Amino acid sequence: MKLFKRYMLGLALLTVISTSCDTDFLELEPPNILLDDQVWNDPKLVTGVLSNYYDRLPTHTTLTGGWADFAAYDEAMWSGYSGNDGLNNIFSYSFNRWQLWDYGLIRDINLAIDKLNTISELPEAQKAQFESELRFIRAYVYFEHVKRMGGVPLITEELIYDFNGDPTYLQNPRNTEAEVYDFVISEMQDILPTIGNTGSNTRANRFTALAVISRAALYAGSLAKYNGAMGSPITLPNNEVGIDPSRADSYYSTSLQASQTIINEGGYNLYNSNPDLGENFYEAIITKNGNPEVIWAQDYLLSADKRHGFTYDNVARSAREDNLGSSAITPGLNLVEDFQYLDGSSGELKTHEADGSDYIYYDEVNEIFEGKDARLYGTVIYPGSTFRGQEIFMQAGVMVWNGSSYDRIESDGIATEYEDGGVLVAAGGPHRSIQEVSNTGFYLRKYVDNAVGASTRGIRSEVWWVRFRLGEIYLNAAEAAYELGQPEAVDYINVLRERAGFGANSLSSLTMEDIMQERRVELAFEDHVVWDYKRWRVAHEKWSGNPDNPESMIYSLYPYRVVRPGDPRDGKYIFVKSVAPRFRAPRFFQMGNYYSQISQGVIDANPKIVRNPFH
Amino acid sequence: MKLKYIKAYMILLIGLMAAGCEFDNFEEPKSTLSGRIVYNGEALGLRSNGVELELWQPGFDLYQKIPVYVAQDGTFSAVIFDGDYKMNLIRGNGPWMDRTDSIDVQVRGSQIIDVEVQPYYVVNNASVSPSGNSLSVTFTVDGVNTNRDLEFAGVYMGRTSITDIVRNEGSFNVPADQIEIGIPITVEVPIPGGLAGRGDIFVRVGAKTSGVAELVYTQVENIPL
Repeated sequence: MKLFKRYMLGLALLTVISTSCDTDFLELEPPNILLDDQVWNDPKLVTGVLSNYYDRLPTHTTLTGGWADFAAYDEAMWSGYSGNDGLNNIFSYSFNRWQLWDYGLIRDINLAIDKLNTISELPEAQKAQFESELRFIRAYVYFEHVKRMGGVPLITEELIYDFNGDPTYLQNPRNTEAEVYDFVISEMQDILPTIGNTGSNTRANRFTALAVISRAALYAGSLAKYNGAMGSPITLPNNEVGIDPSRADSYYSTSLQASQTIINEGGYNLYNSNPDLGENFYEAIITKNGNPEVIWAQDYLLSADKRHGFTYDNVARSAREDNLGSSAITPGLNLVEDFQYLDGSSGELKTHEADGSDYIYYDEVNEIFEGKDARLYGTVIYPGSTFRGQEIFMQAGVMVWNGSSYDRIESDGIATEYEDGGVLVAAGGPHRSIQEVSNTGFYLRKYVDNAVGASTRGIRSEVWWVRFRLGEIYLNAAEAAYELGQPEAVDYINVLRERAGFGANSLSSLTMEDIMQERRVELAFEDHVVWDYKRWRVAHEKWSGNPDNPESMIYSLYPYRVVRPGDPRDGKYIFVKSVAPRFRAPRFFQMGNYYSQISQGVIDANPKIVRNPFH
Repeated sequence: MKLKYIKAYMILLIGLMAAGCEFDNFEEPKSTLSGRIVYNGEALGLRSNGVELELWQPGFDLYQKIPVYVAQDGTFSAVIFDGDYKMNLIRGNGPWMDRTDSIDVQVRGSQIIDVEVQPYYVVNNASVSPSGNSLSVTFTVDGVNTNRDLEFAGVYMGRTSITDIVRNEGSFNVPADQIEIGIPITVEVPIPGGLAGRGDIFVRVGAKTSGVAELVYTQVENIPL
């Protein structure tokens, strides 16, 4: 016992000595936190910081954030979970709808640049490359700000408060809209030689920066031109919004130059691997392996568990693999009719004889779509087209001939049978009221993953979000060249039309309407429509809030089977166009929506910030 | 027995706590501020929910505006606390000249104010008479501040009393070059098919100033067909 006590004492003493001998006890490196000089001296860790910033880039509609708003404009409506029906019932777009004031992210980037320059001992070339990439991200964030808010304060270094009680020296006024666009363009031009990352389509490289110039300068040019052309331009006294119309041409040529460099030197090509032109256009966006068209994308990876549920939410009803979800965003008839016929005629679908006397009878439900622009197939699943090799058949009901006219018979369920043994309502709808069934008669194909299991909650999808692709660059080049009066503008558009199945040189001349129409069909569901309508200053006319304005409404196309025994027309299909039944309120874009509201908290904290017009 | 008492007290206590925990113990505002947007003492016709006034109450930490929407007959009302407010007309929001200085409003109990504005144009002496399948509409566009051009005048027809350029079942545009300021004009407006079978329709005339989103309207008239 005594011995044991002595051992205990000895042990205790030993412990005390061994711990107290550690003179650096208070200077241990934390095992769970990375310190600045560790991070900024290790290229892998710097890349980690960059990936965080790439992931935080502001977006309006992408596959993970804000995708429901694909159904808030005139491309599509909401047919999914009925609790989200508000998207079909937007009384008017609120003034803060596109609000963005992400100075938290800008500060983080400024700090990162600062630390890279002060702490880092990496080789100069590597430092320059990282700094260029950070400046790229910062300039892109400013572009996202200016296209929503107009001019914002350009802060390029860390702002430090000295606790003297007077914060006014930290309060910066808004720069002009033109200055912010100039900043974005000049930053991108500055970093071109140093940014590196050649060949990457997820990290920025020289051509990504040029692509941002191509888009930003085009936006600035059209803002200058079309704002100036309004009856009364939207401006603020110090040009926080509004760009002098005389600057339009120089912006357009900057944009055109950048686009031409990408087209000629970038080594990108339009995706053309699949002889089936419709499938080809679909693959051009979702194929990740060796896709020559994509310039910059936000990637997802199954093995890293970075996945998204976009396919689960939007897969066509009859192709779904899970027991819930599906069919949330369903394209409207307006968009479908914007896809022209390959002979160049208007894309309006022919449901009635030319003199209006009778329906046109189709043998197959997909016959009405024959001869359309192949991009229709690549964007939309229409009745009778296929997805994952399976036909997506759609039928809203039957039309029974009563001797003098048709009685329309529908059902309150889907996948139902009519008394003659044939289909009443198809498993894929469309249906007037059931949730998670198409309400318009169409389903979304673009960005919906065709991989097996991608529409289950357990697996989900790893389709990437394309931020820039060569298709858009061609359109940017066409628009800039058109605005500058250069005749080759039409060639850039014809390249895209040829891929969609039109003959060579299908357009011989170009109008602004052609450009708007091509952008609408080529770039549908790629987060362009709002920004395009805004910069052309047509949003308030397209979405005028008036139910008589077809562009403000979402229309549907319902196929019906004819029941008329003994008649050659029996068993054929006819189509009925109408306003989509679940769609309630016309889209209404007001003048005050052209620039989003700056929140009152920001103005309270910094009285130098002036409010945007009409707010 | 003792346990029973405790249980009874517990239940009483829980009851008291549940009843006493009134978190929502702010007094709701009771005073009303109401009024009209007027020019020359006449309320202006506007688009329903189109024009917004701002109320600001200085002197508090949370300095946020109280939006007050103006009804289509030019009236507005808001239920607020007693206090001293400043009312703003938002620049470019209504069919009138910008008015940059705010209006002091004192609210004690209920308060009625008329907000005088300087419209660009007003529509006067409108009269509507149906004749067969069309309406004969007479009106005069008077210029008040003609430094901005008149863009067009419109006749708006609807099924409900809420009728304007956004919500209507039929409209008819008269371009500015057919209108002489201050001279009465009469236009024949076909009644759209969707309204022709009805017993009555609502009609309004509006004038659009170039560069201003909102129109100035006449008050809605209900016309028996």
